[in-house]
Amino acid sequence: MLNRSARGDVAERAFRRLRLGRLLLEIRLEVSPLRQFIVIGLAILLGLLISAAILIAVGIPPGALWEEFVLDTVFDLQNLHSVWFLAGPLTFIGLAAAIAFRCGFWNLGLEGQMMWGGIAGTFVSLHHVGPEQLRILTMLAAAILAGAFWVMLPAFLKWRFAVNEIISTLLLNYVAFYFLVYLLFGPWLDPRDGFPHSPNYAPFERLPDLPGGFSSIVPLALAGALLIAWLVLASRFGLYVRFISDNPLAALAVGVPIGTVTLLAIALSGAMAGFGGEAILTGTEGRLTYTYFPGYGFSGVLIAFLARNNPLGVVAVAVLVAILFVAGQNLQIFFQIPGSMVQVIEAIMVFSVASAEFFLRHRLHWVR
Amino acid sequence: MDLLTNWLATTPSFAEPYMLAALGLIISERAGVLSLGAEGFMLVGALSGVAACLSLGCSAPVALLVAMVVTGFASTLFAIFTILLRINQVIAGLTTVFFFQGLTDLFGTLGDWNKHTVLGLDRWALGPLARIPWLGPILFDQDFVIYLTIPVVAAAHFLLWHSLTGLRLRAVGDSPETADAAGVSVSLYRFSAVVVGAAIVGLAGAYLALADVKVWTPGLTHGRGWIAVALVIFARWRPWRALFGALLFGGIEALIPQIAAAGFDVPQYFMLMMPYIATLAVMVRAGIGKESVSGAPMALGRPFVREERR
Repeated sequence: MLNRSARGDVAERAFRRLRLGRLLLEIRLEVSPLRQFIVIGLAILLGLLISAAILIAVGIPPGALWEEFVLDTVFDLQNLHSVWFLAGPLTFIGLAAAIAFRCGFWNLGLEGQMMWGGIAGTFVSLHHVGPEQLRILTMLAAAILAGAFWVMLPAFLKWRFAVNEIISTLLLNYVAFYFLVYLLFGPWLDPRDGFPHSPNYAPFERLPDLPGGFSSIVPLALAGALLIAWLVLASRFGLYVRFISDNPLAALAVGVPIGTVTLLAIALSGAMAGFGGEAILTGTEGRLTYTYFPGYGFSGVLIAFLARNNPLGVVAVAVLVAILFVAGQNLQIFFQIPGSMVQVIEAIMVFSVASAEFFLRHRLHWVR
Repeated sequence: MDLLTNWLATTPSFAEPYMLAALGLIISERAGVLSLGAEGFMLVGALSGVAACLSLGCSAPVALLVAMVVTGFASTLFAIFTILLRINQVIAGLTTVFFFQGLTDLFGTLGDWNKHTVLGLDRWALGPLARIPWLGPILFDQDFVIYLTIPVVAAAHFLLWHSLTGLRLRAVGDSPETADAAGVSVSLYRFSAVVVGAAIVGLAGAYLALADVKVWTPGLTHGRGWIAVALVIFARWRPWRALFGALLFGGIEALIPQIAAAGFDVPQYFMLMMPYIATLAVMVRAGIGKESVSGAPMALGRPFVREERR
C-alpha cells in the first residue's frame, strides 16, 4: 500500500499529463510606443471590420460603404460642409468631456448642458437682451454660463452629499429635456406655425459663414482646443488638475486648492458643452428645437476616451466622428438604416480600443 | 378615496420593473462588477419580449422567459469585456448602454416591431379576494409576476445571505484576493453573477414592455435603468430595502397619471420630471444618512488580476 505522499505524487503526475495548461496574466509595467501604436491600430482596424460586417449584414452593398464613408464625405461639397460644421460642436463636446474626465468627474450630463446652453441662448434672442451688434456674443456667453451652472448642481451634490455624479448627471439630462419640451410646447411655441420649436433667430443672431459656405464654428473650436490644451498641458491650473487626479492626498498636503481647481475644471466642462449646444442652434438650426443634441453625450465620452483626454487629440477624433455622423445620415436617407447605427459603430470602436488596453497592460503566458 | 385606491392599485405594476432591475443589479454588483449597463439590458429585454410576442406568437409569460434568456446571452458581451479583458467598468457599462440603445433601435426597425401593440400580460384576479373593498384591487387584482415578488425577494435574500453560493459571491465582491486564495473562482462567480443579474434586469425591461406599456418604442425605458442603479445605492445592496425603494419610486410614477386624471392643473412636463428629481432626492438622503458606510461591496468596480509568476 502506498503511503500518503507517494500517492499524491502519482496523482499529480497523472494530472500534469492530462491538463492542457492555462493562461497566466502578468501586469506589464512599461509599454513601448511602437507596441501601443500597433496594438491600438489593430484594435481600430478590428472595430472598423466588425462595423462594416454589421452594415453589410443589415443590407448595405459593400461597394456603397466605401462610397458613403470615404468618397462622399470628403469629395462631395455638401457633405464636406456638413462634416466641417459637425466637427465644431463635436470638438466642444469632446473638450467638455475631456476636461471633466481629467479631474475624475464623470460628466455624463453633456446633453443636458447642451440643452441649457440652447435654452439660455434662445432666451437672449427672444427677449432681445443687449445691443444687436453684440447679440450673438451675448447669446453664446449666456449659453456658457447656463452650461456651467447646470453642471454645478451634480458637482455640488457630489461634494456635499457624496452623490455619485454618473447617475446624477444622467438623471439631470431627463430633467433638462422635460423642461426644454415644456418650453417648446408651452411658452416658446412658435406662434406662426404652432410647431414645437422657438421662433426663428434674427439674421444677426446667426453665426456668419466663412467664405465658401463653411461654418465659422470650426475656427472657434480650434481656438477653444488650443486654449484648453494650453490650460491643461502647460499652465499651472493643468498641473494642479493632474496632481489632484494622480495623488489627491499629496496635493492636499502640499496645499493645492483642490476644491477651487476641481470646481473650475467641472464648470469649464459644463461651459464647453453649453457653448457647443448653442453653437449648433445659431450655426444651423436657427431656432430652439428638441432634436439638436441626441447622440452628442455619448459622442463626447467617446471622443475624450479615444483622444485619451488630450485636447488636440479631441480635434482629430471629432473630425472622424463628424464623418461618421454624416455617413450615418446618408445611410438613413439612401438605405433606411436608422440613425442609431452611428451609436452602434461608436460603441464598437470604444469596446475594441478599450480591449486593446488589456493587451497593452498585461502580458499573457501559457503555462502547463 | 377612489383616487387613493386607484393610485395604490397601479403602484405595484409601476414598482415591479424597478424591483426586478434592482434585484438583478444587486446580484451582479454583490460579485464586485459595477453594472451601469442596466438601461441597455432593460431595452434588450423589452425588445426581445415584444418581438417574441409579435413574431413567435408567444404568450406573455413565455415572452418574459425569452427576454431573460436573450438578455442573459447579450450580457456575456459585457461580462467578457469587464471580467476577461478587465476594461474600466464605468466605460464598459456606459458603452454597453449606448451599444444596446442603438442596437435595439436598429433591430426594432429592421424587424418591424416598432409601435405594434401586444396583448401583453393579463391581470389575474384572485377570485373573491379581489372583491374585498379597497384591499382587493390593491393586493389581489394584479398579474402573476407581482404575486411572485415577495417570494422572489425572499429567495434572493436567502441566496445572498444564507447559502454557500451567496457567501462565495459576496466574498468575490468584497475581497477577490481572499476568495481566490480560498479556492473560489473569481472569474466564474463574476461571470455567472453578471449573466444571471442581467437576465433579471432583462425581465424587468420585458415586464415594463409587456405589462405596462404594451408596445415597443425605441428608448422605451426612459432612464429607468439609471434610476434602478440609484435605487441599489439607496438600498445599500440589500434586496428587502430595494423592494421598499421600488415601491417608493413606483408610487411616485403611479401618481403622475392619477394627478392628471383627477384634473389638477399641473403642467405635465413638470410631472414627468418627478421620478428623476425624486431619485436625486433619495440619493441625497442616502448621502446624509447616519450610517457612515455605504454598504457597497468593497471591491465594486475593481477588476481582479491574480498576481502570479510561473
